[in-house]
Amino acid sequence: MENSAHNSTIWAIGGGKGGTGKSFLTSCMGTHLAMQGVRTTLIDADLGGANLHSFFGLNAPRHTLADFFEKKKPLQEITVHSGIANLQMIAAPGASMESESINHAQKLKLFRHIRSLESDNILIDLGAGTHVNTTDTFLLADRMIIVTSPEITSLENMYQFIKSVYFRKLKAIFKTHGLTSLIQDIWKNRSTYGIRNLKELIGHIRQSSPQMRDIFDQEMGGFVLYIVLNQVKTPRDIQIGENLKSICMNVLGLPAIYAGYSRYDEGVKDSINKREPFMLFNRLSPVVGEIRTLTNNIIAGTGVTVQRELRNGGL
Amino acid sequence: MEGCEKYFDILELPYDASVEDLNRNYNYLKALYSGDAIEITALNSDFSNEISRDYLARLDEAYTKVREGMENRKTTSAQRKVEMGEEVRQWLRQIDRFDGPLLKELRCRMGVELEDIHAVTRIQPEYLACIENEGFSAFRAEAYLRSYLIEYARFLGLDSNRVLADYLPRYRAWSEKDRKPDVVEVGYVLTKSV
Repeated sequence: MENSAHNSTIWAIGGGKGGTGKSFLTSCMGTHLAMQGVRTTLIDADLGGANLHSFFGLNAPRHTLADFFEKKKPLQEITVHSGIANLQMIAAPGASMESESINHAQKLKLFRHIRSLESDNILIDLGAGTHVNTTDTFLLADRMIIVTSPEITSLENMYQFIKSVYFRKLKAIFKTHGLTSLIQDIWKNRSTYGIRNLKELIGHIRQSSPQMRDIFDQEMGGFVLYIVLNQVKTPRDIQIGENLKSICMNVLGLPAIYAGYSRYDEGVKDSINKREPFMLFNRLSPVVGEIRTLTNNIIAGTGVTVQRELRNGGL
Repeated sequence: MEGCEKYFDILELPYDASVEDLNRNYNYLKALYSGDAIEITALNSDFSNEISRDYLARLDEAYTKVREGMENRKTTSAQRKVEMGEEVRQWLRQIDRFDGPLLKELRCRMGVELEDIHAVTRIQPEYLACIENEGFSAFRAEAYLRSYLIEYARFLGLDSNRVLADYLPRYRAWSEKDRKPDVVEVGYVLTKSV
């Protein structure tokens, strides 16, 4: 199976909190990619709250991931057409399934099958929460995208999500080097080492020996998060993304790129309620341009830069 | 400024940053990390008061170090302009008028590179070269040329008023005669390290 892997780019869209617009953005980014003539497949991995199909006006699809897990159908057979050229999707089952109920072997099998899907881009829409199945799926991606909104609860959940992802990644790295329990041991005894957050944990690991530093730098090189800020209302909201770049590095020890933002627009809600694909029916909306920009940024690995000026003496 | 890299990193600055960049980033980071913006508050214990204090102390230290480094760099260069040898001084005495080629010759006699002037004045070397070869079309207005000239003259230790009095009439003569409104040889976007 591994040998038949296609050259597709996997995007994962996560962020910890529900209601920040992950599924909406996944559907829009996918539509934008497909409209460029790129074969794109969307996977709804929100097993507890599946609704990605609704963004394309599709009723509960006949085939879902439940068929993959329970009836052992290959992914190609449960792929449904979205109604937009070049855009396919794999739906999640209705309320019958929980992310937690997928066991380790099933998860690895799903990952193998995703990697061998015949598609240029694969966008995985993740559910809320920080369950290992969610963080592992996020880590499967070549482009790891965090969607958040300018509210304190979204940001809190986002930090928790990033920390869980990072911790999971560290464990995986050191496991492959035969140091499975190292990270957990250090973290458990963090007060003895004077470690107060992830950034200091990284510092501790990198300083412990040249070998550790090499392992870490090699494995983490190129690891970067793309931050997308959704439902922004003010220029100050837009600035949050710029601040998050600095905060991710300074407090969490992780590099982040501010891929872009998308503003709050009542039209989005209307469009979703009408069950019409937003990107096709609202070409005049500024949101469409903003989503195109942020998607193109993610493709190119670039970000937006907001002037680091103080506004009226404050941020 | 060897050994200063970690301070630049704390300040999130490129190593060739200017004093303005330094001040802007320092004020920005200080306001961000000592403030109560939601993106900071949401960090909870990951950015406790204690961690915040440590960070701000490191930030202040980095600011002081980089600032000192920049001032030293300025003094070092400032000392250079005093180094006008007696030979150059002699030569300069017999000069009755400053124009572009003469400024260039003086600079070369003093062993100063355009990059040296750029390092202190932050004027892009292309513009400095345009002063010397009298590529007047590079300057959108006299005001730009004037302020560049002052900096240039000061760096070489010249009387800037005298340089202006000699040089600017040459620009004005060109401006009246040859200026084509649509010719711009050098872009006016001030390059800035982000």
